[in-house]
Formats: sequence, structure tokens, C-alpha cells
Amino acid sequence: MKLFLKEHALLIGVQTVQWVTMLLILWLDGYPNMKITLYTAFLGFFFLSCYLFYHYYRHRKFYQRLSTRLASLDDSFQQTDQAPVSEALDQLLKEQYKFYQTQLKNLEHQQGEHLKFMDQWVHQMKTPLSVIELTAQTLDEPDSSNIREETERMKTGLNTILYMARLRSIEKDFQFKPVELLNIIHEVNKENKRFYIRNQVYPKLEIDREDITVETDEKWLFFMLSQLIYNGVKYSAGKSRQIYIAIYEKAGEAVLEVTDFGVGIPASDQKRVFDAFFTGENGRAFRESTGMGLYLTKEVGDRLGHRIELESKVGKGSVFRIIFSEAQNLTTV
Amino acid sequence: MCHNIYEMGNGNMQTIMIVEDDHKITEHLHSYIEKYGYHVYKVTDFDHVIEAFHIHKPDLVLLDVNLPSYDGYYWCRQIRKESICPVIFISARVGEMDQVMALENGGDDFITKPFHIEVVMAKIRSQLRRAYGEYAKQAEERVIEKEGLKLYPERLELTFGSRTISLSKKEGDLIETLMERYPRVAGREDLLEKLWDEQTYIDENTLNVNITRVRKKFQELDIKNAVETVRSVGYRLHVSWKKVGEE
Repeated sequence: MKLFLKEHALLIGVQTVQWVTMLLILWLDGYPNMKITLYTAFLGFFFLSCYLFYHYYRHRKFYQRLSTRLASLDDSFQQTDQAPVSEALDQLLKEQYKFYQTQLKNLEHQQGEHLKFMDQWVHQMKTPLSVIELTAQTLDEPDSSNIREETERMKTGLNTILYMARLRSIEKDFQFKPVELLNIIHEVNKENKRFYIRNQVYPKLEIDREDITVETDEKWLFFMLSQLIYNGVKYSAGKSRQIYIAIYEKAGEAVLEVTDFGVGIPASDQKRVFDAFFTGENGRAFRESTGMGLYLTKEVGDRLGHRIELESKVGKGSVFRIIFSEAQNLTTV
Repeated sequence: MCHNIYEMGNGNMQTIMIVEDDHKITEHLHSYIEKYGYHVYKVTDFDHVIEAFHIHKPDLVLLDVNLPSYDGYYWCRQIRKESICPVIFISARVGEMDQVMALENGGDDFITKPFHIEVVMAKIRSQLRRAYGEYAKQAEERVIEKEGLKLYPERLELTFGSRTISLSKKEGDLIETLMERYPRVAGREDLLEKLWDEQTYIDENTLNVNITRVRKKFQELDIKNAVETVRSVGYRLHVSWKKVGEE
């Protein structure tokens, strides 16, 4: 209605000016029977109103449609009414919709191909990596360890790509089931044995209860914990020889905590460490920060419904917590 | 058609068939598995895996998932039609779905690339034990020997001349690594990795402490300076003894 009035404001204005001017001329000319003239003016306004009313009635859907926002792309694909303008609008939107759809389909297809290619490529790289690693094992030290350090780095990189690619369809990937936190910790530590040893930082467990169990996706929790430990160890190397991994319950919630005594994160960076591609001061000072690790961790945490907390002091170290809500904490009392 | 259990008992070497199209990986697996006293057959014609299986009658199959013509799942199903012989899949894929696929197609276990050769050995041994029983393995006990010094890794015993001493698991692991690496240096990282225990974690000290213990054990056998320190790299076995009887 508002749009309709706005659209016809000018017409109404011009009509008004027209009638007023005509009346004025007649009146100045000294025309005696003003009543009749007023009546003609009234008739004029009456026909104008009729026209406007009819026009609005016929096009009301058209105007309604023009003034409601589209909620989704599919909304552009609906019938307005029979008026010629409305039909033209429908036609236009339909055509636009079609063009966008084909383009979207194309891009989706391209992206799918790209993902498939990446996936295949990453997996293909694993065979040469195995060969290099096996060959390195037969070499003498320190070459043997040095080469394997690099292959391990590549392996970590390749796995991050895979996880990154999977993040897109992450909800489809989830398999929720009860997971014992202690088991996951042991598995992650086993997987990262060499990483610990190489950095001369060793894990120490602080276990409140051995049987703390939470509802989560095992594979993705494994990934999250690996990232936290990876960071903890990386930023402790040369400064501290231990990181603490703790599990405990607090107010019904289960907490998995990784504490390091490394460089710590400056307060100005703390809010942004979970942003993609953010590397911050530490990232620039240390080698190979991608700014992806914590971003992925947070992203996965959000989708799994686990809270992530961070406390850190420069020079003292950092504490990262993964918190499982009361509903997700399956530990029996 | 696996070897039946009666044939196994007569001390024949067990045969392991490797079906992997990357020949370098095959070579590495081959040389390593052979060291552990198994006979290895490498498949080279990937269109006729099942024929090779008939001819060589392996006791265990290592099967790559991605093969030139048919994939590993296919061959596993073919093998399963006629045999219950253990099949371990090797694959670059780590997803749960891939593992499920492997198991549903009749595989017994799953190894992902890049793998640790020791993990492969452990899985092979555990599958063989499960399929053919403990005694099959006893036909060939593993012994590592250097100049008359013999290590029995499974019994955790070290023998030199007429004397035999028993070792702890950690000492045994260290000596095994040192002897296997000889004459190369056994890297710090490798040794620490070997000592790493599932439940109780280690640190730098664990290695120092255990090396000291190993040196003591050598001394008990009257062998001196057998373990050399290579600074910040690791340790090396130094053969300072001679075979008894040749002196």
C-alpha cells in the first residue's frame, strides 16, 4: 500500500494542482455559479479515486511482492497475478533464476571436482611419503631422524587439508557416540610420540576420574585435541619440558584441559586466535603457522556443541579447555 | 586355501603374500618381513592375484586397496570365497568408511599409509597368531646375533658365551634397536619412541636411566664399552667383544 501511494503521489499531486488552477481561473474570471464548478472538481477527484482504487486492487499482489524481501532464492519462483506488469515481473525473475541456477550448478560442479581432485591427490602423496619414510629408516643418524621429521611435517599438512575439505560436509560426517576421554588422550599421545620427543616436551596427565565419558564424535575430538597439543608443544619447545593434560568434572560439565608453560598469547591476539588465517605475534615468530589449527578446532567445537575456552599470559603459558555440556557428559555419578 | 594346521607344524616358514603396486614399498616390506623369518611372495601381475594365491598358498595377505585393474576389496572378496586366510589391508585412506569397507569385504585388519614398519609387523604377528595359534610361531624364535652375543627379544634374554641374563622389557627393546641398527647410530628419537609406553609416559631421563641399565647388563656379561654415546644424536653399539672360543 505504501509503495503504491508513493508510486502515485505525483499523479495525485498533479491532478490536485490542475483542479485548483482551473477553479482559480474560473473564480477570478468572475464565474457566478461556483457550486457547479466545485461539483465538477469533486467528480474529477471521484473518477481519479476510482481509477486508483481499481488499479490498486488489480495490482495489489504485485505491490505486495515488490515490497516483501526474498527469503531464499526459491522465493523468486512464484506467481504474482494476472496483470501484464506482474506477468512481466514473473517472467524476468524466472529467467534470472534460471541463469543463476545454471551458474550455481556449474560452480558447484567445479568445486566438487576440485575437492575430489584434492582428495585424490592428497591420498596419492601418501605412497611416496611412505617410501621416503621407510627409506629414511635405513639411513644413519642424524639424517634418518631429520628426514623423518620433514616427512612427518608433510603428513600433518596433508591431514589438515583432508580435515579442512571435510569441514564443508562436516555435519554429514558426524558420528556421535560415547567416548572415554582418557582413551582419546592416550591415542593422541601415541600418534604424536615423535613430535613430543623431537621437541623435548613431554605430556603429563592429571586425571580426576578415569572413566569420564562424553557424547561426541571420536574422530573430530581426536583432531581437536591433536591441534591443542600440537600448539602447546610447539610453543613450549625450548622453554618448558612439560605440558599438562587434565580431565575433570566441574558443575556437571566435563572438561578436557591442555596446559602449557610456553610463550603465551598476547591479550590483543587472544580474541582473534580462532579466526581463519590469523597467525598473530607468535605465529610470525614461530615457523609454519597457518592460522588454521585453532580456527578448525573452534569451528568443529561449535558444530559438535563443545565450548572452547582460552586463558593465557605472555611468558607464562596458555590453557585451552574443551568443555562438554551437562547433557553431553555421560559419566555416571 | 590356506595351509592347514598340520602342514604348519613341521617348521615350514610361513608365507606372506604382498599385493602392492608401488614396488618400493613392496621392497621395504619384503626385506623387513623376511628378517622376521617369514617367506615373502610379491605379486607382480595384478590381473591374476587369485591365481598367485592358489599357487603360493600364503598364510597371510597384505593387500593394497588401490590396485591397477581391480581394487583390493575385489581381490579380498575373491580370496574369501575359498579361504579364511588373514588379509590385512594397506590404504592411504583414513576415514572410518574406508575401514568399514575393508572389514565388510572380508579384511581382518587395516593399516594406513604412511605406516610404521613395526606396526605392520605387530599386526602380521597378531593375525598369524589368531589364525594358526601360538605354537606355529614357536617353530622360529627370533634371535638377533652379533659376534656370539645373542638376544632373544621374545624371551627377553641375552646370552654371551655360556652366560645368560634376563632383561626388562625396556632393556630388551633398547638392545634390540642397538643391535639392529648396528653399525649405524640408533637415534635418540627412535630409542625414546621405543620406550614410550601407552600408559606411563616417559621423558628424557627415561632414556638415560635405561641406557645406564643396559650398560650394567653388558658388564654382567663382562662386555665393556659396548654402548657408545654419540652426542645429541643417539647411541651406537660398539662391538668390543669377540666370539668366545676364537680367542
